[in-house]
Amino acid sequence: MPNSEGAGRKGIVTLWYNSVTFTLFVVLWWIFAWQSSSLFLPTPWAVIKAFWALATYGDLEGISIWIHMLRSTVRIIAGFGAACVLGIPLGILMGLYPIFYESTKSIIEPVRFIPPVAWIPLVIVLLIGFSRYAFIIWLGAFFPILIGTLLSVKQVNPIYIDVPRSFGAERMYIVRKIVIPSILPDVFTAMRVGVGIGWDCIMAAEMIGGENEGLGVMILKYAELIRIEEIVVGMLVIGFIGFLINEMFLFAERRVFRWKEAIQIA
Amino acid sequence: MGQLLIDAHFSMKFGKMVILDDLHFKVDEGEFLVIVGPTSCGKTTLAKVLGGLLKPTSGSVIMRGERVNPKTQNISFVFQETSCIPWRTLWDDVYMGLEIKGVDPKVAEVRTKEVIKLVGLDGFEGYYPKQLSGGMKQRVAIARAYATNPDFLLLDEPFGHLDAQTRYLMQIEIMRIWQSEKRTVAYITNNIEEAIFLATRIIVLSRLPAKIKGQRNVDLNRPRKLTSQDFLTLRKEIARDCEIVQ
Repeated sequence: MPNSEGAGRKGIVTLWYNSVTFTLFVVLWWIFAWQSSSLFLPTPWAVIKAFWALATYGDLEGISIWIHMLRSTVRIIAGFGAACVLGIPLGILMGLYPIFYESTKSIIEPVRFIPPVAWIPLVIVLLIGFSRYAFIIWLGAFFPILIGTLLSVKQVNPIYIDVPRSFGAERMYIVRKIVIPSILPDVFTAMRVGVGIGWDCIMAAEMIGGENEGLGVMILKYAELIRIEEIVVGMLVIGFIGFLINEMFLFAERRVFRWKEAIQIA
Repeated sequence: MGQLLIDAHFSMKFGKMVILDDLHFKVDEGEFLVIVGPTSCGKTTLAKVLGGLLKPTSGSVIMRGERVNPKTQNISFVFQETSCIPWRTLWDDVYMGLEIKGVDPKVAEVRTKEVIKLVGLDGFEGYYPKQLSGGMKQRVAIARAYATNPDFLLLDEPFGHLDAQTRYLMQIEIMRIWQSEKRTVAYITNNIEEAIFLATRIIVLSRLPAKIKGQRNVDLNRPRKLTSQDFLTLRKEIARDCEIVQ
Protein backbone atom coordinates (compact mmCIF):
# COMPACT_ATOMS: atom_id res chain seq x y z
CA MET A 1 0.00 0.00 0.00
CA PRO A 2 1.34 3.39 -0.92
CA ASN A 3 -0.03 4.96 2.28
CA SER A 4 1.16 2.37 4.83
CA GLU A 5 4.18 4.43 5.81
CA GLY A 6 1.99 7.48 6.38
CA ALA A 7 -0.44 5.40 8.44
CA GLY A 8 2.43 4.13 10.61
CA ARG A 9 3.65 7.66 11.27
CA LYS A 10 0.13 8.78 12.08
CA GLY A 11 -0.17 5.89 14.52
CA ILE A 12 2.95 7.01 16.40
CA VAL A 13 1.73 10.62 16.54
CA THR A 14 -1.65 9.49 17.89
CA LEU A 15 0.08 7.35 20.50
CA TRP A 16 2.26 10.26 21.56
CA TYR A 17 -0.69 12.67 21.90
CA ASN A 18 -2.60 10.08 23.87
CA SER A 19 0.23 9.43 26.29
CA VAL A 20 0.40 13.18 26.95
CA THR A 21 -3.33 13.58 27.59
CA PHE A 22 -3.43 10.40 29.64
CA THR A 23 -0.56 11.51 31.86
CA LEU A 24 -2.18 14.92 32.25
CA PHE A 25 -5.43 13.28 33.27
CA VAL A 26 -3.74 11.13 35.91
CA VAL A 27 -1.81 14.10 37.29
CA LEU A 28 -4.94 16.25 37.53
CA TRP A 29 -6.83 13.41 39.21
CA TRP A 30 -4.00 12.95 41.65
CA ILE A 31 -3.82 16.69 42.51
CA PHE A 32 -7.56 16.80 42.92
CA ALA A 33 -7.65 13.76 45.19
CA TRP A 34 -4.69 14.98 47.21
CA GLN A 35 -6.14 18.50 47.65
CA SER A 36 -9.59 17.35 48.69
CA SER A 37 -8.19 14.55 50.89
CA SER A 38 -11.68 13.07 50.88
CA LEU A 39 -12.35 9.42 51.67
CA PHE A 40 -14.57 9.23 48.65
CA LEU A 41 -12.00 10.42 46.14
CA PRO A 42 -9.14 7.92 46.07
CA THR A 43 -5.76 8.80 44.57
CA PRO A 44 -4.52 6.95 41.47
CA TRP A 45 -2.01 5.19 43.66
CA ALA A 46 -4.74 3.91 46.00
CA VAL A 47 -6.62 2.57 43.01
CA ILE A 48 -3.53 0.78 41.72
CA LYS A 49 -3.00 -0.78 45.14
CA ALA A 50 -6.63 -1.87 45.22
CA PHE A 51 -6.24 -3.43 41.79
CA TRP A 52 -3.13 -5.27 42.91
CA ALA A 53 -4.91 -6.64 45.95
CA LEU A 54 -7.88 -7.73 43.86
CA ALA A 55 -5.60 -9.38 41.33
CA THR A 56 -3.44 -11.25 43.85
CA TYR A 57 -5.62 -11.91 46.93
CA GLY A 58 -9.04 -11.56 45.39
CA ASP A 59 -12.08 -9.81 46.82
CA LEU A 60 -13.76 -10.23 50.19
CA GLU A 61 -14.65 -13.81 49.33
CA GLY A 62 -11.25 -14.53 47.82
CA ILE A 63 -12.49 -14.39 44.22
CA SER A 64 -9.82 -12.76 42.06
CA ILE A 65 -10.63 -9.91 39.70
CA TRP A 66 -9.51 -12.12 36.80
CA ILE A 67 -12.38 -14.49 37.54
CA HIS A 68 -14.81 -11.55 37.63
CA MET A 69 -13.49 -10.32 34.30
CA LEU A 70 -13.61 -13.77 32.78
CA ARG A 71 -17.21 -14.40 33.90
CA SER A 72 -18.45 -11.07 32.51
CA THR A 73 -16.55 -11.45 29.25
CA VAL A 74 -17.78 -15.00 28.62
CA ARG A 75 -21.37 -13.86 29.25
CA ILE A 76 -20.91 -11.01 26.79
CA ILE A 77 -19.43 -13.29 24.15
CA ALA A 78 -22.31 -15.74 24.47
CA GLY A 79 -25.09 -13.15 24.37
CA PHE A 80 -23.45 -10.99 21.75
CA GLY A 81 -22.52 -14.01 19.62
CA ALA A 82 -26.12 -15.21 19.66
CA ALA A 83 -27.29 -11.70 18.73
CA CYS A 84 -24.96 -11.67 15.69
CA VAL A 85 -25.81 -15.21 14.60
CA LEU A 86 -29.52 -14.41 14.67
CA GLY A 87 -29.58 -10.70 13.95
CA ILE A 88 -27.42 -10.51 10.83
CA PRO A 89 -29.07 -13.25 8.71
CA LEU A 90 -32.52 -12.15 9.86
CA GLY A 91 -31.67 -8.53 9.00
CA ILE A 92 -30.54 -9.57 5.52
CA LEU A 93 -33.68 -11.65 5.02
CA MET A 94 -35.95 -8.82 6.18
CA GLY A 95 -34.08 -6.30 4.04
CA LEU A 96 -34.38 -8.44 0.92
CA TYR A 97 -37.97 -9.51 1.56
CA PRO A 98 -39.69 -6.59 3.35
CA ILE A 99 -42.76 -8.79 3.86
CA PHE A 100 -40.96 -10.60 6.72
CA TYR A 101 -40.47 -7.32 8.52
CA GLU A 102 -43.88 -5.85 7.64
CA SER A 103 -45.69 -8.93 8.87
CA THR A 104 -43.80 -9.13 12.20
CA LYS A 105 -43.59 -5.39 12.87
CA SER A 106 -46.27 -5.47 15.59
CA ILE A 107 -44.03 -7.79 17.62
CA ILE A 108 -40.56 -6.50 16.76
CA GLU A 109 -41.13 -2.80 17.24
CA PRO A 110 -42.77 -2.82 20.71
CA VAL A 111 -40.35 -5.46 22.03
CA ARG A 112 -37.46 -3.40 20.72
CA PHE A 113 -38.48 -0.52 22.99
CA ILE A 114 -38.62 -2.57 26.19
CA PRO A 115 -35.31 -1.83 27.94
CA PRO A 116 -33.44 -5.09 28.61
CA VAL A 117 -33.17 -4.04 32.25
CA ALA A 118 -36.96 -4.17 32.52
CA TRP A 119 -36.80 -7.85 31.60
CA ILE A 120 -34.57 -8.71 34.56
CA PRO A 121 -37.25 -9.65 37.12
CA LEU A 122 -39.00 -11.86 34.60
CA VAL A 123 -35.74 -13.44 33.52
CA ILE A 124 -34.72 -14.19 37.11
CA VAL A 125 -37.96 -16.10 37.57
CA LEU A 126 -37.95 -17.88 34.23
CA LEU A 127 -34.29 -18.66 33.54
CA ILE A 128 -31.39 -19.98 35.57
CA GLY A 129 -27.69 -19.22 35.89
CA PHE A 130 -25.74 -18.45 32.78
CA SER A 131 -28.74 -18.27 30.46
CA ARG A 132 -30.15 -15.29 32.40
CA TYR A 133 -27.16 -13.13 31.55
CA ALA A 134 -26.80 -14.41 28.03
CA PHE A 135 -30.47 -13.67 27.36
CA ILE A 136 -30.33 -10.12 28.74
CA ILE A 137 -27.23 -9.32 26.69
CA TRP A 138 -28.78 -10.93 23.65
CA LEU A 139 -31.82 -8.68 24.07
CA GLY A 140 -29.66 -5.60 24.25
CA ALA A 141 -27.41 -6.42 21.29
CA PHE A 142 -29.91 -8.15 18.99
CA PHE A 143 -32.09 -5.22 17.97
CA PRO A 144 -29.37 -2.73 17.01
CA ILE A 145 -27.74 -5.47 14.94
CA LEU A 146 -31.01 -6.53 13.32
CA ILE A 147 -32.15 -3.00 12.50
CA GLY A 148 -28.68 -1.86 11.41
CA THR A 149 -28.39 -4.79 8.99
CA LEU A 150 -31.93 -4.38 7.69
CA LEU A 151 -31.54 -0.67 6.96
CA SER A 152 -28.19 -1.23 5.28
CA VAL A 153 -29.63 -3.84 2.91
CA LYS A 154 -32.22 -1.29 1.80
CA GLN A 155 -29.48 1.22 1.04
CA VAL A 156 -27.37 -0.88 -1.30
CA ASN A 157 -26.66 1.32 -4.32
CA PRO A 158 -29.01 0.07 -7.09
CA ILE A 159 -26.31 0.54 -9.73
CA TYR A 160 -24.20 -2.16 -8.05
CA ILE A 161 -27.14 -4.52 -8.40
CA ASP A 162 -27.78 -3.53 -12.02
CA VAL A 163 -24.23 -4.45 -13.05
CA PRO A 164 -24.54 -8.20 -12.34
CA ARG A 165 -28.18 -8.11 -13.47
CA SER A 166 -27.10 -6.76 -16.85
CA PHE A 167 -24.98 -9.92 -17.23
CA GLY A 168 -27.96 -12.08 -16.27
CA ALA A 169 -26.79 -12.97 -12.72
CA GLU A 170 -28.99 -15.09 -10.43
CA ARG A 171 -30.43 -13.66 -7.22
CA MET A 172 -28.06 -15.66 -5.01
CA TYR A 173 -25.04 -14.29 -6.87
CA ILE A 174 -26.24 -10.75 -6.25
CA VAL A 175 -26.80 -11.45 -2.54
CA ARG A 176 -23.40 -13.09 -2.08
CA LYS A 177 -21.27 -10.82 -4.22
CA ILE A 178 -23.03 -7.47 -3.96
CA VAL A 179 -25.44 -7.21 -1.01
CA ILE A 180 -23.25 -8.85 1.64
CA PRO A 181 -19.98 -7.03 0.85
CA SER A 182 -21.92 -3.79 0.52
CA ILE A 183 -23.59 -3.99 3.97
CA LEU A 184 -20.55 -5.34 5.81
CA PRO A 185 -19.24 -1.93 6.99
CA ASP A 186 -22.66 -1.05 8.42
CA VAL A 187 -22.96 -4.48 10.01
CA PHE A 188 -19.62 -3.92 11.75
CA THR A 189 -20.86 -0.57 13.06
CA ALA A 190 -24.07 -2.20 14.27
CA MET A 191 -22.01 -4.88 16.01
CA ARG A 192 -19.93 -2.24 17.78
CA VAL A 193 -23.09 -0.54 18.98
CA GLY A 194 -24.50 -3.94 19.98
CA VAL A 195 -21.50 -4.97 22.04
CA GLY A 196 -21.58 -1.63 23.89
CA ILE A 197 -25.23 -2.10 24.82
CA GLY A 198 -24.33 -5.65 25.83
CA TRP A 199 -21.97 -4.22 28.47
CA ASP A 200 -24.65 -1.88 29.79
CA CYS A 201 -26.93 -4.84 30.18
CA ILE A 202 -24.45 -7.19 31.85
CA MET A 203 -23.70 -4.66 34.59
CA ALA A 204 -27.35 -4.20 35.40
CA ALA A 205 -28.03 -7.92 35.16
CA GLU A 206 -25.12 -8.90 37.43
CA MET A 207 -26.09 -6.35 40.04
CA ILE A 208 -29.51 -7.91 40.35
CA GLY A 209 -28.70 -11.45 39.29
CA GLY A 210 -27.70 -12.74 42.71
CA GLU A 211 -24.55 -14.58 41.66
CA ASN A 212 -21.14 -14.22 43.20
CA GLU A 213 -18.93 -13.62 40.20
CA GLY A 214 -18.77 -10.92 37.55
CA LEU A 215 -17.58 -7.31 37.47
CA GLY A 216 -21.06 -5.96 38.17
CA VAL A 217 -21.35 -8.04 41.35
CA MET A 218 -17.84 -7.05 42.39
CA ILE A 219 -18.69 -3.36 42.17
CA LEU A 220 -21.87 -3.94 44.13
CA LYS A 221 -20.07 -5.85 46.90
CA TYR A 222 -17.75 -2.89 47.48
CA ALA A 223 -20.52 -0.35 47.05
CA GLU A 224 -22.22 -1.83 50.09
CA LEU A 225 -19.01 -1.28 52.05
CA ILE A 226 -18.46 2.19 50.52
CA ARG A 227 -14.98 1.12 49.41
CA ILE A 228 -14.47 3.55 46.56
CA GLU A 229 -11.00 2.31 45.49
CA GLU A 230 -12.30 -1.12 44.47
CA ILE A 231 -15.37 0.39 42.81
CA VAL A 232 -13.15 2.59 40.67
CA VAL A 233 -11.01 -0.43 39.81
CA GLY A 234 -14.16 -2.22 38.59
CA MET A 235 -15.21 0.81 36.54
CA LEU A 236 -11.81 1.21 34.93
CA VAL A 237 -11.54 -2.47 34.10
CA ILE A 238 -14.93 -2.36 32.37
CA GLY A 239 -13.88 0.70 30.42
CA PHE A 240 -10.61 -0.89 29.46
CA ILE A 241 -12.19 -4.13 28.23
CA GLY A 242 -14.65 -2.05 26.17
CA PHE A 243 -11.74 -0.11 24.72
CA LEU A 244 -9.97 -3.34 23.78
CA ILE A 245 -13.08 -4.76 22.11
CA ASN A 246 -13.55 -1.57 20.13
CA GLU A 247 -9.91 -1.62 19.02
CA MET A 248 -10.32 -5.23 17.93
CA PHE A 249 -13.28 -4.27 15.79
CA LEU A 250 -11.42 -1.32 14.28
CA PHE A 251 -8.44 -3.52 13.55
CA ALA A 252 -10.65 -6.08 11.80
CA GLU A 253 -12.39 -3.31 9.85
CA ARG A 254 -9.11 -1.92 8.58
CA ARG A 255 -8.23 -5.39 7.40
CA VAL A 256 -11.56 -6.26 5.79
CA PHE A 257 -12.31 -2.86 4.26
CA ARG A 258 -9.02 -2.03 2.66
CA TRP A 259 -11.00 -0.89 -0.40
CA LYS A 260 -12.55 1.93 1.66
CA GLU A 261 -9.25 3.34 2.82
CA ALA A 262 -7.50 3.27 -0.51
CA ILE A 263 -6.31 6.76 -1.35
CA GLN A 264 -6.68 8.73 -4.55
CA ILE A 265 -3.54 8.53 -6.67
CA ALA A 266 -4.68 9.66 -10.09
CA MET B 1 -25.18 -3.83 -43.77
CA GLY B 2 -25.19 -6.97 -41.65
CA GLN B 3 -28.04 -9.17 -40.59
CA LEU B 4 -30.90 -8.02 -38.39
CA LEU B 5 -29.97 -8.30 -34.70
CA ILE B 6 -32.58 -6.29 -32.81
CA ASP B 7 -36.14 -5.54 -33.74
CA ALA B 8 -37.57 -3.12 -31.20
CA HIS B 9 -41.15 -1.91 -31.10
CA PHE B 10 -42.52 -0.80 -27.75
CA SER B 11 -43.96 1.84 -25.44
CA MET B 12 -43.18 2.55 -21.81
CA LYS B 13 -45.36 4.20 -19.19
CA PHE B 14 -44.73 4.92 -15.52
CA GLY B 15 -48.20 5.06 -14.08
CA LYS B 16 -50.12 7.36 -16.39
CA MET B 17 -47.06 9.18 -17.66
CA VAL B 18 -45.93 8.07 -21.12
CA ILE B 19 -42.13 7.98 -21.29
CA LEU B 20 -41.41 6.21 -24.56
CA ASP B 21 -44.15 6.56 -27.13
CA ASP B 22 -44.35 3.76 -29.70
CA LEU B 23 -40.67 3.56 -30.59
CA HIS B 24 -39.98 1.36 -33.56
CA PHE B 25 -36.49 0.69 -34.88
CA LYS B 26 -34.08 -2.06 -35.88
CA VAL B 27 -30.40 -2.64 -35.23
CA ASP B 28 -28.28 -4.59 -37.69
CA GLU B 29 -25.23 -6.61 -36.74
CA GLY B 30 -22.03 -4.61 -36.77
CA GLU B 31 -23.76 -1.24 -36.51
CA PHE B 32 -22.70 1.58 -34.23
CA LEU B 33 -26.12 3.06 -33.62
CA VAL B 34 -26.26 6.28 -31.65
CA ILE B 35 -29.56 7.37 -30.14
CA VAL B 36 -29.63 11.10 -29.41
CA GLY B 37 -32.22 12.72 -27.20
CA PRO B 38 -32.59 15.80 -25.01
CA THR B 39 -31.96 15.61 -21.26
CA SER B 40 -34.58 13.65 -19.30
CA CYS B 41 -36.44 12.30 -22.30
CA GLY B 42 -36.28 8.75 -20.95
CA LYS B 43 -32.95 7.73 -22.45
CA THR B 44 -31.90 5.60 -19.50
CA THR B 45 -35.30 3.93 -19.49
CA LEU B 46 -34.84 3.20 -23.20
CA ALA B 47 -31.40 1.70 -22.53
CA LYS B 48 -32.75 -0.51 -19.75
CA VAL B 49 -35.59 -1.75 -21.95
CA LEU B 50 -33.16 -2.52 -24.77
CA GLY B 51 -30.91 -4.40 -22.38
CA GLY B 52 -33.75 -6.43 -20.89
CA LEU B 53 -33.44 -4.84 -17.43
CA LEU B 54 -36.92 -3.27 -17.67
CA LYS B 55 -40.02 -4.74 -19.29
CA PRO B 56 -41.79 -2.38 -21.65
CA THR B 57 -45.44 -1.60 -20.88
CA SER B 58 -46.41 -2.79 -24.34
CA GLY B 59 -44.58 -4.23 -27.32
CA SER B 60 -41.21 -5.94 -27.11
CA VAL B 61 -37.54 -5.97 -28.00
CA ILE B 62 -36.70 -9.02 -30.11
CA MET B 63 -33.09 -10.14 -30.40
CA ARG B 64 -32.46 -12.91 -32.95
CA GLY B 65 -36.06 -14.07 -32.78
CA GLU B 66 -36.36 -14.10 -28.97
CA ARG B 67 -37.36 -11.54 -26.38
CA VAL B 68 -34.27 -9.78 -25.11
CA ASN B 69 -33.07 -11.29 -21.82
CA PRO B 70 -29.60 -10.96 -20.26
CA LYS B 71 -29.94 -14.45 -18.75
CA THR B 72 -30.14 -16.17 -22.11
CA GLN B 73 -28.47 -13.70 -24.45
CA ASN B 74 -25.03 -12.21 -24.48
CA ILE B 75 -25.63 -8.52 -23.82
CA SER B 76 -23.37 -6.05 -22.03
CA PHE B 77 -24.18 -2.72 -20.47
CA VAL B 78 -22.11 0.34 -19.68
CA PHE B 79 -23.99 2.55 -17.25
CA GLN B 80 -24.15 6.30 -17.04
CA GLU B 81 -23.23 6.41 -13.36
CA THR B 82 -19.91 5.15 -12.10
CA SER B 83 -20.56 1.46 -11.80
CA CYS B 84 -17.25 0.13 -10.53
CA ILE B 85 -17.86 -2.09 -7.53
CA PRO B 86 -15.96 -0.39 -4.67
CA TRP B 87 -14.75 -3.58 -2.98
CA ARG B 88 -13.50 -5.21 -6.16
CA THR B 89 -10.07 -4.59 -7.61
CA LEU B 90 -9.94 -3.54 -11.24
CA TRP B 91 -9.10 -7.13 -12.23
CA ASP B 92 -12.00 -8.65 -10.27
CA ASP B 93 -14.38 -6.02 -11.60
CA VAL B 94 -13.51 -6.69 -15.24
CA TYR B 95 -13.73 -10.42 -14.49
CA MET B 96 -17.29 -10.19 -13.13
CA GLY B 97 -19.22 -10.80 -16.34
CA LEU B 98 -17.14 -13.86 -17.17
CA GLU B 99 -17.67 -15.14 -13.64
CA ILE B 100 -21.45 -14.75 -13.99
CA LYS B 101 -21.53 -16.39 -17.41
CA GLY B 102 -19.58 -19.33 -15.96
CA VAL B 103 -16.67 -19.10 -18.39
CA ASP B 104 -13.84 -21.54 -17.74
CA PRO B 105 -11.33 -19.71 -15.47
CA LYS B 106 -8.38 -20.34 -17.78
CA VAL B 107 -10.17 -18.80 -20.75
CA ALA B 108 -11.62 -16.04 -18.57
CA GLU B 109 -8.22 -15.00 -17.23
CA VAL B 110 -6.74 -14.73 -20.70
CA ARG B 111 -9.72 -12.67 -21.86
CA THR B 112 -9.60 -10.39 -18.79
CA LYS B 113 -5.96 -9.67 -19.44
CA GLU B 114 -6.75 -8.98 -23.08
CA VAL B 115 -9.54 -6.45 -22.47
CA ILE B 116 -7.64 -4.65 -19.71
CA LYS B 117 -4.87 -4.16 -22.26
CA LEU B 118 -7.44 -3.16 -24.88
CA VAL B 119 -8.65 -0.23 -22.75
CA GLY B 120 -5.09 0.65 -21.76
CA LEU B 121 -5.29 -0.12 -18.04
CA ASP B 122 -2.64 -2.83 -17.80
CA GLY B 123 -0.56 -2.30 -14.70
CA PHE B 124 -3.57 -1.13 -12.64
CA GLU B 125 -5.07 -4.61 -12.05
CA GLY B 126 -4.76 -4.45 -8.26
CA TYR B 127 -6.24 -0.98 -7.86
CA TYR B 128 -9.57 -0.23 -6.18
CA PRO B 129 -12.05 2.23 -7.75
CA LYS B 130 -11.19 4.87 -5.13
CA GLN B 131 -7.69 4.96 -6.55
CA LEU B 132 -8.88 5.56 -10.12
CA SER B 133 -9.94 8.75 -11.91
CA GLY B 134 -13.38 9.19 -13.49
CA GLY B 135 -12.14 8.43 -17.00
CA MET B 136 -10.32 5.32 -15.79
CA LYS B 137 -13.46 4.07 -14.05
CA GLN B 138 -15.41 4.31 -17.29
CA ARG B 139 -12.63 2.39 -19.04
CA VAL B 140 -13.06 -0.33 -16.41
CA ALA B 141 -16.79 -0.42 -17.19
CA ILE B 142 -16.05 -0.65 -20.92
CA ALA B 143 -13.50 -3.44 -20.38
CA ARG B 144 -15.99 -5.32 -18.20
CA ALA B 145 -18.65 -4.98 -20.89
CA TYR B 146 -16.28 -6.08 -23.65
CA ALA B 147 -14.90 -9.04 -21.68
CA THR B 148 -17.89 -11.29 -22.33
CA ASN B 149 -17.70 -10.81 -26.13
CA PRO B 150 -21.23 -9.40 -26.21
CA ASP B 151 -23.45 -9.78 -29.25
CA PHE B 152 -25.05 -6.50 -28.30
CA LEU B 153 -23.30 -3.73 -26.39
CA LEU B 154 -25.32 -0.96 -24.77
CA LEU B 155 -23.67 2.27 -23.70
CA ASP B 156 -25.93 4.63 -21.77
CA GLU B 157 -24.33 8.10 -21.81
CA PRO B 158 -21.08 6.49 -20.72
CA PHE B 159 -19.10 9.74 -20.62
CA GLY B 160 -21.93 12.03 -19.56
CA HIS B 161 -20.43 13.00 -16.21
CA LEU B 162 -16.85 13.44 -17.38
CA ASP B 163 -15.35 16.85 -18.05
CA ALA B 164 -15.35 18.05 -21.68
CA GLN B 165 -11.73 17.23 -22.41
CA THR B 166 -11.78 13.74 -20.90
CA ARG B 167 -15.06 13.14 -22.68
CA TYR B 168 -13.50 13.99 -26.02
CA LEU B 169 -10.52 11.72 -25.35
CA MET B 170 -12.85 8.91 -24.34
CA GLN B 171 -14.81 9.26 -27.59
CA ILE B 172 -11.58 8.72 -29.51
CA GLU B 173 -10.82 5.78 -27.22
CA ILE B 174 -14.18 4.09 -27.67
CA MET B 175 -13.79 4.41 -31.44
CA ARG B 176 -10.32 2.87 -31.30
CA ILE B 177 -11.64 0.01 -29.13
CA TRP B 178 -14.63 -0.54 -31.40
CA GLN B 179 -12.47 -0.56 -34.51
CA SER B 180 -10.13 -3.18 -33.03
CA GLU B 181 -13.04 -5.35 -31.79
CA LYS B 182 -16.23 -4.74 -33.72
CA ARG B 183 -19.46 -5.24 -31.77
CA THR B 184 -23.01 -4.24 -32.44
CA VAL B 185 -23.41 -1.10 -30.36
CA ALA B 186 -26.31 1.04 -29.23
CA TYR B 187 -24.86 4.22 -27.80
CA ILE B 188 -27.14 6.68 -26.05
CA THR B 189 -26.26 10.35 -25.65
CA ASN B 190 -27.64 13.88 -25.47
CA ASN B 191 -24.83 15.29 -27.60
CA ILE B 192 -25.24 15.60 -31.36
CA GLU B 193 -21.52 16.11 -32.05
CA GLU B 194 -20.71 12.97 -30.11
CA ALA B 195 -23.31 11.14 -32.19
CA ILE B 196 -21.90 12.28 -35.53
CA PHE B 197 -18.36 11.58 -34.36
CA LEU B 198 -19.13 7.95 -33.47
CA ALA B 199 -22.16 6.67 -35.34
CA THR B 200 -22.74 4.58 -38.41
CA ARG B 201 -26.38 5.56 -37.94
CA ILE B 202 -28.17 8.11 -35.75
CA ILE B 203 -31.70 8.06 -34.34
CA VAL B 204 -32.96 11.35 -32.93
CA LEU B 205 -35.55 11.35 -30.13
CA SER B 206 -37.98 14.11 -29.19
CA ARG B 207 -38.72 15.56 -25.77
CA LEU B 208 -40.90 13.61 -23.34
CA PRO B 209 -42.84 11.53 -24.30
CA ALA B 210 -39.99 10.41 -26.53
CA LYS B 211 -40.81 9.66 -30.15
CA ILE B 212 -38.44 9.04 -33.03
CA LYS B 213 -37.96 12.35 -34.84
CA GLY B 214 -35.64 11.15 -37.53
CA GLN B 215 -32.90 8.76 -38.59
CA ARG B 216 -29.74 9.33 -40.52
CA ASN B 217 -26.93 7.13 -41.80
CA VAL B 218 -23.49 8.60 -41.25
CA ASP B 219 -20.83 7.54 -43.74
CA LEU B 220 -18.13 10.14 -43.13
CA ASN B 221 -14.57 8.83 -43.27
CA ARG B 222 -12.83 7.97 -40.05
CA PRO B 223 -11.18 9.40 -38.10
CA ARG B 224 -13.76 12.15 -38.18
CA LYS B 225 -12.97 15.77 -37.46
CA LEU B 226 -15.41 17.88 -35.46
CA THR B 227 -14.46 20.93 -37.51
CA SER B 228 -14.42 19.47 -41.04
CA GLN B 229 -16.89 20.86 -43.58
CA ASP B 230 -18.69 17.49 -44.03
CA PHE B 231 -19.13 17.19 -40.30
CA LEU B 232 -20.60 20.66 -39.90
CA THR B 233 -22.90 20.27 -42.92
CA LEU B 234 -24.25 16.99 -41.54
CA ARG B 235 -24.72 18.52 -38.13
CA LYS B 236 -26.76 21.35 -39.68
CA GLU B 237 -28.88 18.96 -41.72
CA ILE B 238 -29.69 16.76 -38.76
CA ALA B 239 -30.52 19.81 -36.67
CA ARG B 240 -32.84 21.10 -39.37
CA ASP B 241 -34.51 17.78 -40.15
CA CYS B 242 -35.05 16.89 -36.52
CA GLU B 243 -35.94 20.41 -35.39
CA ILE B 244 -33.17 20.51 -32.83
CA VAL B 245 -32.89 23.99 -31.43
CA GLN B 246 -29.58 25.50 -32.54
